[in-house]
Amino acid sequence: MAQAGVGDRWRPPRGRHRLPPEVVARSQRERLLEAAIRVVATKGYGAMTVSDLTGEAGVSRTTFYELFEDKETCFLAAYDNAVDVLVRRVTRAYEAERDWPDRAAAGLAALLETLADEPALARLSLVDVGNAGPAAQRRYRAAIQRLTPLFEEGRDFAPRGRNLPANTSRMAIGAVTGLLADELVAGRAEQLPGLLSDVLFATLVPYIGPDAAAREVDRLTR
Amino acid sequence: MAGSETRRQLILEAMVRVVGRKGYKATSVADVIEEADVSRTTFYKHFEDKQECFLAAYDLVTERVLDAVIANCDAEQPWLERMRVGLATVVEMFALDPELARTAIVEVAAAGADARQRHWNAVAKFTEFLADGEGVAGDRELPENIALMAAGAVSGLIFDELLTGRAERLPELLPDLLFAMLVPYIGPSAATAEMRRAAAG
Repeated sequence: MAQAGVGDRWRPPRGRHRLPPEVVARSQRERLLEAAIRVVATKGYGAMTVSDLTGEAGVSRTTFYELFEDKETCFLAAYDNAVDVLVRRVTRAYEAERDWPDRAAAGLAALLETLADEPALARLSLVDVGNAGPAAQRRYRAAIQRLTPLFEEGRDFAPRGRNLPANTSRMAIGAVTGLLADELVAGRAEQLPGLLSDVLFATLVPYIGPDAAAREVDRLTR
Repeated sequence: MAGSETRRQLILEAMVRVVGRKGYKATSVADVIEEADVSRTTFYKHFEDKQECFLAAYDLVTERVLDAVIANCDAEQPWLERMRVGLATVVEMFALDPELARTAIVEVAAAGADARQRHWNAVAKFTEFLADGEGVAGDRELPENIALMAAGAVSGLIFDELLTGRAERLPELLPDLLFAMLVPYIGPSAATAEMRRAAAG
């Protein structure tokens, strides 16, 4: 499957060429963003230097500073980019289904598959984001916010949804991210899709209870 | 002159304070030795670096929280009561000591993979302790990871609250936290009833 975030990408030919400067700049920027994700995954945000980024992306230091203020702005741009891809895929999968449990299962499956395909991105979004300071933490909260509808629609589906605490979707999200982070910290990103029944249960249970959640999980993951 | 063990303890306490105040990233060994009033040599006699010291300090924090929970909970209590008392203990501890709370829940996420692993182990241990006992699940077959789900929901809510700097308001969140903790085991209707009871009591 072609990945929008990481992987081989067209590069302008080295040496003299006639590409318009803005095309070259865009490609250099994208290479730096991809490099940021890979470098953070291998050495962590704290140890990452601008030289790591320019080395990995094959661009000069001067070019780096033309495009980004410092390593943090580069990292944050990479993060936003990665989250955009992730949220788009999850939303597309989710919207293709009709009933909420089916929608939740499709969205979560897309989430797990994307994260398993791109372990670097997964670590970055769920584990390392805390290392990158308050700005990254706020970005992380905002990204999670964009996935809230996947959970919050459970309120309309639940028999007495209006009686549920206002914080219900935040609880479900906390439970899901806890399960994912645990797996990622243990270095088992490729096994994330195997967590589907657990994360689906955690998503459904505050809205419909353990018995109905177990039945739905059974139906949707068989 | 303080003994070697006492000095180690002082350093750990200082680490919890400074990290809670400045954040893990901004904390330096210099900050910690100043707060603990020990020499740099003493620090490095006990710890390799800031990270190792933080991990030891984190163990101290989780031990202290879990001890308080165990002290307040009674093995004879019904498990529902134990969950309520256990959560109330944690929340009150955090409200009285926002620096400890930030270190335990927020800053640990910034301190690398080992620290995060410790964090998840601690919250899962805490939930398992509270949920352990007869009748939690009835005759239901619940997912193996259920303690981790409950713990994730609870610590996520506390994390959000602390990130916006409202440690002292955590006790108001107790009914919601109780709901989050109970709902995977007993479902929304019963958990809502318990939440109302907690809010009224």
